[in-house]
Amino acid sequence: MRKLAIFLALIPPLVALYLLYTGSLSLFELALAIIIATVISYLFSSALISRPGRLYNPIRWAWALIFAILYLTVVEAKAHLSVLKLIFVPSRARPAIVRIPYSVESDYAITLIANSITNTPGTVVVDVDEERKYFYVHWIRATDLTEEGAKREVSELFERYARRIFE
Amino acid sequence: MLGALAYYLGMILLIGGGIVDVLAAIGMNRFRNFYLRLHAATVGAIWGAVYPLFGLGLISLSLSALGSVRFYIAGIAFTTAIFLLLTAPVGSHAIAQGAHRSREAVPEPIVVDRLAEDEGVIGGA
Repeated sequence: MRKLAIFLALIPPLVALYLLYTGSLSLFELALAIIIATVISYLFSSALISRPGRLYNPIRWAWALIFAILYLTVVEAKAHLSVLKLIFVPSRARPAIVRIPYSVESDYAITLIANSITNTPGTVVVDVDEERKYFYVHWIRATDLTEEGAKREVSELFERYARRIFE
Repeated sequence: MLGALAYYLGMILLIGGGIVDVLAAIGMNRFRNFYLRLHAATVGAIWGAVYPLFGLGLISLSLSALGSVRFYIAGIAFTTAIFLLLTAPVGSHAIAQGAHRSREAVPEPIVVDRLAEDEGVIGGA
């Protein structure tokens, strides 16, 4: 029963993704989308979803949308401008690999935080220690070398939203 | 009105992305070690590739002369941009971790290297 719910839960998002990608709503595309989504969901749904209810929680989607807009405008702009400045004055770089603790549980949340850190220029996740819950982050202009200080500067915002979206 | 707005916003994203790509390439040459160059590569991946793709989608949506083809182009541009946003950091993670584990790329100069400390490669820095 639970397996069936997981299997069915993944089909509508895959159909929507296919239709968005093709940009067409013809009957042929719709039928093809449903067939492909069924096959993919049969193969991968148990690996991708553990709680189907969360996939359809509008509050989580609203937080995801807010995070996407905030991230793609403010956060990225700040990070890009600081790295573009460093390109002209490379001597001002102060690179360090710092340890940043995190406190989320799910793989999706960890991935969202790590991807967000790496996608902002100036910080790249080099390694992750899942037992002790640390990211090792290469930071091009390290202003704070302590764990808590680095977390405040680099990943606190991402972690707050990752918890609202995935936990 | 909305079409013109989408067109000009798309043009800004597209042309801005090209300029940022050139700057990132300059940074690639000016930074003198592997990890610093990785940051320049990130600049090229997000403002240099994801944003122009969003811009391309907006431009094609605004060109009504294209007919229904514009929805194909916009759909492909938007989904490709989102997939790039999700998968570009995966490549960065893999390269960075591989470089650090194999010690092919020495992170010099560096203020502290907590990862090497924790792996016990070089005692306290």
